[in-house]
Amino acid sequence: MKITLIRITFFLALFLIWYLVVAITQIPSYILPGPLDVFESFYIGFIKGNYLISIFYSMIRVLTGYFMALGIGIVTGILLARYYFLDITFGRSILSLQSIPSVAWVPLALLWFGISDNAVIFIIILEAVLPTALSTKNAMKNIPSNLIKAAQTLGSRGLHLYKNVIIKAMIPELVTGLRLSWAFAWRALIAGELFVSGAGIGQTLELGRALADMSQVIAMITTIGIIGYFTENVFFGIIEKRVRIAWGVE
Amino acid sequence: MLEPKIKFENVVKNFKTSSGDNHILGNLSFDIFAEEFVCVLGPSGCGKSTILSLIAGLLKPSSGKVIFNSKLVERPDSSRTLVFQEYALFPWLNILDNVAFGLTTKNHGKEKPQKKAMEYLNLVGLSEYKNYPVNQVSGGMRQRVALARALAVEPEVLLLDEPFGALDQQTRENMQNELLRLWMKTKKTVIFVTHSVDEALKLADRILVIGGKPGKLLFDATVAVSRPRDLKDSHLINIRNQILDNLTHPDFFMGSDI
Repeated sequence: MKITLIRITFFLALFLIWYLVVAITQIPSYILPGPLDVFESFYIGFIKGNYLISIFYSMIRVLTGYFMALGIGIVTGILLARYYFLDITFGRSILSLQSIPSVAWVPLALLWFGISDNAVIFIIILEAVLPTALSTKNAMKNIPSNLIKAAQTLGSRGLHLYKNVIIKAMIPELVTGLRLSWAFAWRALIAGELFVSGAGIGQTLELGRALADMSQVIAMITTIGIIGYFTENVFFGIIEKRVRIAWGVE
Repeated sequence: MLEPKIKFENVVKNFKTSSGDNHILGNLSFDIFAEEFVCVLGPSGCGKSTILSLIAGLLKPSSGKVIFNSKLVERPDSSRTLVFQEYALFPWLNILDNVAFGLTTKNHGKEKPQKKAMEYLNLVGLSEYKNYPVNQVSGGMRQRVALARALAVEPEVLLLDEPFGALDQQTRENMQNELLRLWMKTKKTVIFVTHSVDEALKLADRILVIGGKPGKLLFDATVAVSRPRDLKDSHLINIRNQILDNLTHPDFFMGSDI
């Protein structure tokens, strides 16, 4: 309760300083708008404008890319864990791919897929598939071997062993990996959308720049931050915590 | 003549490592008969656990034969179940579902797994804890669950790998008595690995003393003393001294890497 009060006071003070700085220095609003201008952008954008539609289209893109990446990444990860040859060849190249930031794939994606949704989804998949594959591989390699031995001596093998032991034992580490992949997917989405046409958060942000409407730019940056925070920390945070409790990790 | 339940014929086990072969077991031969309670006794690293893995079918011998019911052991199955020191319970299942796990495989598909699991949970006295998560009960209770899980599939052989090593002294003694009770009731062949001479003396019909590197059979002691046993019994003290003599035998040290 006390902490909440301190936080509210802190943010109110921050807004007040922002307001005063803009009011006193008379900075033009296309460089730094005041907080009221940004609130107005939010209000108009959400009530009358296209912010909700932008968010909707962006969500469809990111979820499409993310779920495709999960499918590919989990299968790849299991193969990497099972086959040593794949791990020392393909597995190594995955590691080096991961150090490429998503925005570096944009020119390639645009040439392959044009200025379209597919280009964005391609970038999202590229970004999210790597952490998914790596965390799946690690989750599988870190299964306590005694769990598998115990299951085998109890008569479990093949599909029963995979379904009831291997996959289940992987879940806590896998969920952490899925959260990481989501963070990558979210960043890749915005990077990709800045370069393509159509409705979306990134496009709205870029439109703000084109119109020198800094209020809209700041409103969109804030929206990206809020959605990112709630999905990464609140949504995945809750799932991760529940799984860890159910699995007795905590 | 009575066929042995389990037969080791000149079993050798090496593990390949980056620095060459690691010799674990060297030319081990012994027979174990049905309904026997056998303790495998030896210092850490002598290959005791490897013996259990070979019987379970989790490992294959580098040479020699491991025979179960007159057939070569090919792979693990529920006729030989294994209990670990660290319990190896499935943390995402509650206690009842852990016990029922082996009964959900296709060999046991006909009966209702939970009903039978309940019988075995009763047997170890934990029926009221059936819905508890496994990580919320004590070590002794977890090991009872592991025992019930291993017994529920009605194995012919129960393999125990230092099962009470992680428990405190009092719990350990209770669990030893519990195990003897279960053994007398279910009449399984039990192979119990331990590094405690007293634990072996308290439990076993027969003690196989393993030592050296690679591990060899140093001594095969029959313990013909009725239970419950008093470790001060002169017969047990006699066996104890023989075992200790063998464990400190010069051959044991000559064979090891010092």
